[in-house]
Amino acid sequence: MDMHKRVPRNIHREKVSLGDWRQTVARIWHYLATRRRQLAIVFLLTIVTTVVTIVGNRLNGVVVDSYISKNKLRMLLIVCASMAGMYLISSVFTYFQNSIIIKVAQDTSAHIRRDVFANLQRLPMRYFDTHDNGDVMSRLTNDVDNINTALMQTFVQLFTGIISVIGMGLAMLLLSPLLTAITLLSPIATYFFSRRIAKVTQKVFMTQQQALGNLNTQIEESVSGKQLVQLFDHSEQTMADFNRTNAEYTKAAFRAQSFSSVIGPFNNMTNNLAYVLITAAGAISILTGHGGITVGIIFTFLIYLRNFTGPINNVLNLINTLQLSLVSAQRVFSLIDEQPEKDVPGAVHVTQTAGNVTFDHVSFAYETRPILRDVNLTAKQGEVVALVGPTGAGKTTIMNLLTNLYPLQQGKVLLDGRDVTTIKRQDLRKLVTVVQQESFLFSMSIRENIRLGRLDATDDEVVVAAKRANADFFISQLPDGYETVLSENASSLSQGQRQLLSIARAFITGAPVLVLDEATAAIDSNTEADVQTAMTALMVDKTSFVIAHRLSTIQRANQILVINDGQVIEKGTHASLLAKQGFYAGLYNSQFDTQK
Amino acid sequence: MFRIVMQHIHHGARWCFFLAPLIMLGEVFCDLQQPTLMSQIIDNGLAKGDLGYVIQHATWMLAFALVGVLFGASSGVLGNYASLKMGEALRSHLLQVALIDRNPAGLEPATLITRITNDVIQMQNLVMMVTRGLVRSPMLLLGGIVMSAIVCPDLAPILFIIMPLLVIFLLIVVRRSVPRYTRMQRAVDTVNRVMRENLQGAKTIKAYVLENHQRHQFNQENSHLRQSSQSAAMATVILSPVIQLMLNLGVVIALSYGGSLAISKTISDGQIIAFVNYMIQITTAMVQTVNIITSFSRAITSANRVQAVLDEEPAEQRSTPTAQRPTGSSIDFDNVTFGYQQSKPILNQLNFHVADGQWLGIVGATGSGKSSIIKLLTASFDQYQGTIRIGGTDIKQLDLPVIHSKVAVALQDSLLFSGTVRGNLTYGAPGTAAQLAQAATIADADKFIDRLPGRYDAAVEQNGKNFSGGQRQRLNISRAIIPDADILVLDDATSAVDQETNARIKSRLEQARAQRTTVIISQRVTNVMACDQIIVLADGKLVAQGTHAELVQRSDFYRQLVHTQLGGGNNGHA
Ligand SMILES: Nc1ncnc2c1ncn2[C@@H]1O[C@H](COP(=O)(O)OP(=O)(O)OP(=O)(O)O)[C@@H](O)[C@H]1O
Ligand SMILES: Nc1ncnc2c1ncn2[C@@H]1O[C@H](COP(=O)(O)OP(=O)(O)OP(=O)(O)O)[C@@H](O)[C@H]1O
Ligand SMILES: [Mg+2]
Ligand SMILES: [Mg+2]
Repeated sequence: MDMHKRVPRNIHREKVSLGDWRQTVARIWHYLATRRRQLAIVFLLTIVTTVVTIVGNRLNGVVVDSYISKNKLRMLLIVCASMAGMYLISSVFTYFQNSIIIKVAQDTSAHIRRDVFANLQRLPMRYFDTHDNGDVMSRLTNDVDNINTALMQTFVQLFTGIISVIGMGLAMLLLSPLLTAITLLSPIATYFFSRRIAKVTQKVFMTQQQALGNLNTQIEESVSGKQLVQLFDHSEQTMADFNRTNAEYTKAAFRAQSFSSVIGPFNNMTNNLAYVLITAAGAISILTGHGGITVGIIFTFLIYLRNFTGPINNVLNLINTLQLSLVSAQRVFSLIDEQPEKDVPGAVHVTQTAGNVTFDHVSFAYETRPILRDVNLTAKQGEVVALVGPTGAGKTTIMNLLTNLYPLQQGKVLLDGRDVTTIKRQDLRKLVTVVQQESFLFSMSIRENIRLGRLDATDDEVVVAAKRANADFFISQLPDGYETVLSENASSLSQGQRQLLSIARAFITGAPVLVLDEATAAIDSNTEADVQTAMTALMVDKTSFVIAHRLSTIQRANQILVINDGQVIEKGTHASLLAKQGFYAGLYNSQFDTQK
Repeated sequence: MFRIVMQHIHHGARWCFFLAPLIMLGEVFCDLQQPTLMSQIIDNGLAKGDLGYVIQHATWMLAFALVGVLFGASSGVLGNYASLKMGEALRSHLLQVALIDRNPAGLEPATLITRITNDVIQMQNLVMMVTRGLVRSPMLLLGGIVMSAIVCPDLAPILFIIMPLLVIFLLIVVRRSVPRYTRMQRAVDTVNRVMRENLQGAKTIKAYVLENHQRHQFNQENSHLRQSSQSAAMATVILSPVIQLMLNLGVVIALSYGGSLAISKTISDGQIIAFVNYMIQITTAMVQTVNIITSFSRAITSANRVQAVLDEEPAEQRSTPTAQRPTGSSIDFDNVTFGYQQSKPILNQLNFHVADGQWLGIVGATGSGKSSIIKLLTASFDQYQGTIRIGGTDIKQLDLPVIHSKVAVALQDSLLFSGTVRGNLTYGAPGTAAQLAQAATIADADKFIDRLPGRYDAAVEQNGKNFSGGQRQRLNISRAIIPDADILVLDDATSAVDQETNARIKSRLEQARAQRTTVIISQRVTNVMACDQIIVLADGKLVAQGTHAELVQRSDFYRQLVHTQLGGGNNGHA
């Protein structure tokens, strides 16, 4: 059954841009730059630990060559004691070095998450309309995690690698150029090998992370819609859909990770090869008497091999971790790069308004299909203006434009004669409070939820607002009253109760313009009448817009605008519109037509 | 944890899971040959000046290196396959359990989502590490110990002292870190929840200018996550340096003690070199083992969290259905009492009967329990008192799918899924194009669907964000009509629809479902007044029951509704 085929939309929307990894690295570096001091300390510590390793290893050989072979027991013990001291220091330093790195990596991840979130907050409505929550969440967790892992793993390795190369390289060169060259073979081989693999894997990693994002989207959506899944016995099909995406992810991940799982053994092999070569070459040159090589030198080199190529190979080994983190970083940065809503240059602060609203020849489309066509309306201070009309006519859209949620295409929306797009968004939205058709409640206490309307409201004010909204009645019946913490999506409240809370939240703002968009649709009309009385009292000399379908809700409005198909087709009071015998009258009478 | 892994690793993956470590043994074996061969080269080849011997042994070393890589690579790929397949199966199982879970006090969405995504990935990574590392490193470790003891028995006691100390130390550290990882995963939950709410509530946040407030909250949770991750990582950071130190000290002791033995000619130089080499190998292996153990402590946390989801899986699917699918479509509530929390009943001693083919209207104040009745009727919860019957059969004796195919519901919140209009409409049952069109016509959704680009294939965003409230509701109704179930329930399903459209839907529905059981919950009097029977709920109790005409006489609440909505009369134009 392909009836409910998911369209994996994000994949299409976002190009798989493997683009400029240098730029991505530069941006990660930008984050690290603020922690330059700590990184410098780590670097210094690494110098010490690496030098200790180098010297310690050299001493191993010296001990064998100079003391054991030559029977110098006293010297042997002295050198050994000093080695012990060095190792102690080295371990202490390693501890600090790792601790700092952990801190830096976590701080950086937290910093990145903070930036992502901050930007996400400022994105235009359009972004939220068209993006899946699960994918965004996946970027913030899984992808940031990948960056974190890479940071934790690479730094010490990278520093150790660099210092080892220089330090041990010099020491080895002095001992034996031939064996040094052989030792270097292993990292060089690994380098070329990893680079080849990296080329392939970058693409696969991108696919993997995108698949993971899709997977999250599906999990998020089906878990959220669990009730429906159960009611319609849809779990089999939901699972079938999910399993398809799940398998896609597994496939992508298998390809990506198989490449990287080969790097380890390969690396091991080159190490072993170098091991053989050193032993063989060393042995041969001792036997043939070339190059002044001793058993101790071979011994030292073998240890160097482990300690020297180890870190370098580790870094190279990390190329895959790095690739993955770069891909992840790209996904994360692309969120930070999304263009936020910006006020027009020269937008002004407005903290007060009389509440005169004018729509002047407004036309609008979300995408390409025109939704509003040449809408004109005026609402004066103190008026209650009702918007009615068939569903999908554009009523909510009109109110979206009043708070500048979407960019206007034609015409002007004016608040006290001032174009709303020239008012700072935050100010505008504080002046105009909208109770949306689907208001969202957060999983915090009821008190805090209401207080979101005005953050400095006192507890008493919260209770007053709840009483006005007729919500106090049910709140006080809850075992924890106002302290009741709502479950996610307020699923433990009835639909009407959720609406009452949203209304309380709007009442507490005290804004001069109030919009109720079907805010009472799920509330019984007896309660609704009470809410309305409260609102009328609250809104004297303020402007309110009411969108409602139960016409009883709006009969007393000063002005009723009938919206149809994106246009204002009638305007007037209840009485005048009924007398007109037009669209409104039809709408009004329709409710009685089908009675038995 | 092992159990979870084993339960979710099947067929080929299972083979791979066991094969990978075995093959890895091959690689380890090859690796372990190197120092021995080397010490033979030094001791025998060099000492005797035997070039042939050197070359022969070097060739052997080469061969072992090459064979080793084959073993290593194939084991890596197999382990990879096993871990990913395990992850795939586990995710699928978890989602399945999450979707059928009917426990009202179950896990909340945000934590469920992190468990199915993040925690599974942790476990997947662990299996991957285990197949490769848990054999490789401990084997290298063990092999190293054994070989060094063989090569140089005099020095072996050094290891036998150090190793137990290390193990004890390891255990202590791991024990300390597990609770910290648990705290960390919980912080991940919270960050995810805040994130999710901000995505879902974006419009509300903008409307109330809560950006700063929310950002502040997020930053708080975010730094909480940072702290708990740091503390978890810090719990184990002490491991590597201590282990390195102890083993390095071991090397020093080996050199000094061994050196003094060598001076007194009890052991050879080659032996010391080999022993020290093994020590270094042991150190490396030990550090790797520690890394795995660190991931272990993280994965244990994840495993526990995953297990908690799996535990929600109902042990016995409702008592085995004893009754056949009922042919009738009457509905009975017999003394039904129900509460979400034990303490406070939401529905109280509810009694009503809807005869086959009747229309039932339910009205009542906000929060009076109307939607809860529907939840019980569709068997979303079992823990109520009294009896609910469909077609005369107790629903507790019916299979869930039977109940769900018997009763189709348009829920109060008209949730839509991302996909297409068609996908959403056929959610409950497949339908031909004609059936879709017919259902859409009844719900008066046909006209706007026809205007969408692509019509029935038009895209629907998550939660139907690109549709107006009323459009969503009409899609919701169409979706419930398509299965053509014996009982249809509309829970306030037209609240966001204008009067005219509402009237159209109502009359078309009356036609389509004449003489078929239908339940209408509504705040609009006009929607229920034609019903054969209307019940009025208040505070979970049935306070009045009857036809419209009877209730206007009998129920204050109902009369009041009629008065506000219809302006006092029920027969005409105000
Ligand atoms: N999951 C839940 N957990 C705890 N309490 C709940 C849960 N769902 C509903 N309630 C409570 O049960 C009562 C009845 O809720 P229900 O949703 O049945 O009301 P309703 O009559 O449908 O109201 P509305 O007209 O607002 O939709 C309410 O007080 C509500 O707070
Ligand atoms: N975010 C969006 N993206 C794309 N199209 C949208 C979006 N929101 C609304 N639309 C479309 O715009 C049109 C008008 O929608 P709007 O929500 O303004 O209607 P409405 O008059 O409020 O209807 P209702 O009474 O059902 O709430 C509808 O056809 C709808 O499909
Ligand atoms: Mg609307
Ligand atoms: Mg309800």
